[in-house]
Amino acid sequence: MKRIIFMIIISFFICTNTLEAHKVSAYAYREGDKVAGECYFVDGSPCKNSIVAVYDSKGKKLLQTTTDEKGKFSFKTQETGELKIVISAGEGHTAEYRLEASEKSEKKEIKKQEPFKEAEKKQAPSINRDEMKQIIDEVMDAKLQGIKNEILDLRKQMDKINIRDIIGGIGYIFGLWGLIMLIKRRKNAS
Amino acid sequence: MHISEGVLSAPVLLAGAVLSLAGLTLGLRKIKNEDIPKVAVLSSAFFVASLIHIPVGPTSAHLVLNGLVGMLLGWSAFPAIFVGLVLQALLFQFGGLTTLGINTFAMSMPAVLSYYIFRKMLKKSRNIAFIGGAFGGTSAVLIGTLFISMALIETEKSFFGVAITLFTMHLPVALIEGIITGFVVLYLKKVKPEALG
Repeated sequence: MKRIIFMIIISFFICTNTLEAHKVSAYAYREGDKVAGECYFVDGSPCKNSIVAVYDSKGKKLLQTTTDEKGKFSFKTQETGELKIVISAGEGHTAEYRLEASEKSEKKEIKKQEPFKEAEKKQAPSINRDEMKQIIDEVMDAKLQGIKNEILDLRKQMDKINIRDIIGGIGYIFGLWGLIMLIKRRKNAS
Repeated sequence: MHISEGVLSAPVLLAGAVLSLAGLTLGLRKIKNEDIPKVAVLSSAFFVASLIHIPVGPTSAHLVLNGLVGMLLGWSAFPAIFVGLVLQALLFQFGGLTTLGINTFAMSMPAVLSYYIFRKMLKKSRNIAFIGGAFGGTSAVLIGTLFISMALIETEKSFFGVAITLFTMHLPVALIEGIITGFVVLYLKKVKPEALG
């Protein structure tokens, strides 16, 4: 009987649409020498005014900033190596994000672009390499913005709790206690 | 109520693990075979309860139900809550595997305290049983926040600051839990009085 009651309670819990927890997640990406990112709770609500600390690969603290009302943060850094971003939302909730080292493919780019540049010079001598790079960067950033948002949304969805996990978890619990019962019974019998 | 990984230092984690281990062995020894289904049900109730959120100010707090688990199980609340926490850590990344010890202790010890303080009231008349259940449910959450703040002393520096924020943040949750626990006790009294006996 009691089991039935609790099953009713549990199913009520599952049906409520407020399946959240305060696990904190963070996500960041590079934009030239700027790093932008976002921090949110597992239900997708932002971590407002949380402290963001940035460390380099050796664990040295580089800088500290805070998130805004939408949970977003950004900072400038010359450090190209791996960055560790730690966001503390207080009361023991932290999120960590490792930002990979930015790729150092500048040299290759130059070599590739050299013949290009020559050809360019004949036709349109008014655009130099730096200007072109800037234009490409801008266009790429605008085009990639959509994909970046998509990735962020996907990440948020992945962090959300899904019902499969809940039901699976309950199954695990019953299985585990069943196992304990079996072991105890065997012990008593012997 | 869950302390996440990388917040606490090793000695605090170790202390929590040792205390929880003691509670776990004691709890496992006390479980009778016929009680195991009850433990399993309460274990899964605890597992799901943490997903119910009540928004409070900038963050939100969730139900714990450790008071209910404690009053119905006594020392067996330790293994019941531990199992729930392990699965929450594995499936939802609540808390973490290294902080399992401290989290188990911070939620199970108040549960056991509720058992010893309010258990007798549950056997009395309906009104007294409801009040006992409500107080047991509420106090278990609030004492739990106290344990959590104690664990956070080292990292957060100002103990009273953290203790007060955690306490006030969980006050609405604690009250709601008290009411839920009270009603569950009343219901059990009606349909299965031997569970409270």
